[in-house]
Amino acid sequence: MTRTTPIRTALRVGLVAVLSIAMLVPMYIMVVNAFKPQQEILLSPLGFDLATLTTDHLAAAWQNTSFPVVEGYAVTLFLVLACNVVAIGASVPAAYTIARTPTPLFRFLLFFFVAGMFVPAQIILVPAIFVLKALGLMGTLPGLVLFMSSTMIPFTLFIFSGYIRMLPRSLDEAASIDGAGRQRILWTIVFPLMRPIVATAFILNALSAWNDFVSPQLILGPGSQFRTITTGVYAAVSTYTTNYEIVFPTLLLAVVPILLIFVLMQRHIMGGLSAGAVKG
Amino acid sequence: MARTTTTRRGLLSGLANGLMTLPAAVVYTGLTVVPVGYAVYYSFTQYNGIPSQAPTWVGWENYARIIADPIGDLRPAAWVTLVIAVVGAVLVNGAALGIAMLLRRTTAFNTFARAVMFYPHVLSALIVGFLWQAILGPQGAVNNLLENAGRSTWPFLSDPDWALVTLIGVIVWAQFGVQLVLYLAGLQAVSPELQEAARLDGANGPQVFRHVTWPALAPTVTVTIVTSILSLLKVYDVVLGLTNGGPGDATQTWAYEILAVSFANNKVGLACAQAVLLVVVAGILSFTIIALRRRAEEGAEAVG
Repeated sequence: MTRTTPIRTALRVGLVAVLSIAMLVPMYIMVVNAFKPQQEILLSPLGFDLATLTTDHLAAAWQNTSFPVVEGYAVTLFLVLACNVVAIGASVPAAYTIARTPTPLFRFLLFFFVAGMFVPAQIILVPAIFVLKALGLMGTLPGLVLFMSSTMIPFTLFIFSGYIRMLPRSLDEAASIDGAGRQRILWTIVFPLMRPIVATAFILNALSAWNDFVSPQLILGPGSQFRTITTGVYAAVSTYTTNYEIVFPTLLLAVVPILLIFVLMQRHIMGGLSAGAVKG
Repeated sequence: MARTTTTRRGLLSGLANGLMTLPAAVVYTGLTVVPVGYAVYYSFTQYNGIPSQAPTWVGWENYARIIADPIGDLRPAAWVTLVIAVVGAVLVNGAALGIAMLLRRTTAFNTFARAVMFYPHVLSALIVGFLWQAILGPQGAVNNLLENAGRSTWPFLSDPDWALVTLIGVIVWAQFGVQLVLYLAGLQAVSPELQEAARLDGANGPQVFRHVTWPALAPTVTVTIVTSILSLLKVYDVVLGLTNGGPGDATQTWAYEILAVSFANNKVGLACAQAVLLVVVAGILSFTIIALRRRAEEGAEAVG
């Protein structure tokens, strides 16, 4: 800090500004071209003519039956919430028990769960499909929720048990002397103290559920009545990748809400990520 | 009397403990552990995935086929994947650390820039792929600009070698923000007193970085390298959006081979053998890196 000269600061700010612009150019291209006819996209990809800007293609993308935007959002939001409820709801009591029972059996149990962090979801998807078929859950939303939750449990449980271990045991003991049962101690005393780590897990799980493409595509199936944002975009765009009147408006519809959420929650999302990394 | 109560209480509390872990254990076992077991079993069979037909045990045949690679399917994909993992991890970490050094002080401008660097991560990789395909494709924005300016177009996605370069570039663009956040968190933990002391001893900027900051960052570097390699080894969605594996099989990754080639062609046994091998390779790579990094991390403790 002592030798920061004005020239250096100017150089640094200039470099960061250039990099920031480089990061944002693709978004600019997407937004501006979503309102232009194909001919103009090809002739002048970066510019725009106020006279010919149109929302027709956006409206067409909105009505495209391959990507029903509102239902796509509803299904994706449902997945985000349901997977988090299952993964967090199952991980809290398990992590609490593992963190508070220092026996070899429970230490092994933690290891058993953590091993799952090294298994990529796409890799077990093929055999998981056969398990879901055997359970009669293939092609259904509950089946998809169970599969996605199971891939979230290892990390969620791992950061939870690390966090609970830092909470003083005397809290549990005091409540236990006052006659509170185990469930009551967990949900009324320990769980409220876990709020920061639950928020971290929620954010990270939400991002992975929101952006997952392979699991819904394979488990729900391409012909499913349920489309998520990603499978909807794939259905709408993959065969028309050079028809930019379809590509840009569809992508715009798919990213605007998540970008709005990111802008509003930016501090929490990035903070949650680094908190998760420090714990994990 | 007292003893029986304790054992009974111990048993009851053991049972209660078991019940508390049951939901997580059931979901995780049912849909992660059992599928891993099935993957290993199917990898020794020939199976087309049709429920009415049972898998036929073929021993190591699938693995032998992968290693001999008669029609050249997995070997090129494995190379592509390793190139993406190694080159991608180096670039992702280099970009993330370099930019973290630029943005380490918390000012309003830097907070804004951090968000700008990070935002691609909240977009799905599939959408990132489609977006860059529209920008760099043969008919894409950049090639149209070149053409309109009277220059020759550039085969970002139509030449096999360039397609791989472009794919890695897009992955780096989309992913380095995550590692940037981790490096920023790591930099907060580097003792400012130590850096100040080094400066007072006459060390210049690069020397402070080399001898104080970099060793203190060692644990962060291990985490960022392992997480970036693990995520790069399973690259799939962005490939689907950007190149769909092409041109030819130039950008077909290991995960693409498993899902879009073997599984899509009903070769479940082969797909599972490829999946098992990928998990093994990922495991070997991560444990090797963690072991190699242990020495650097011991250095970090000495500095911290």
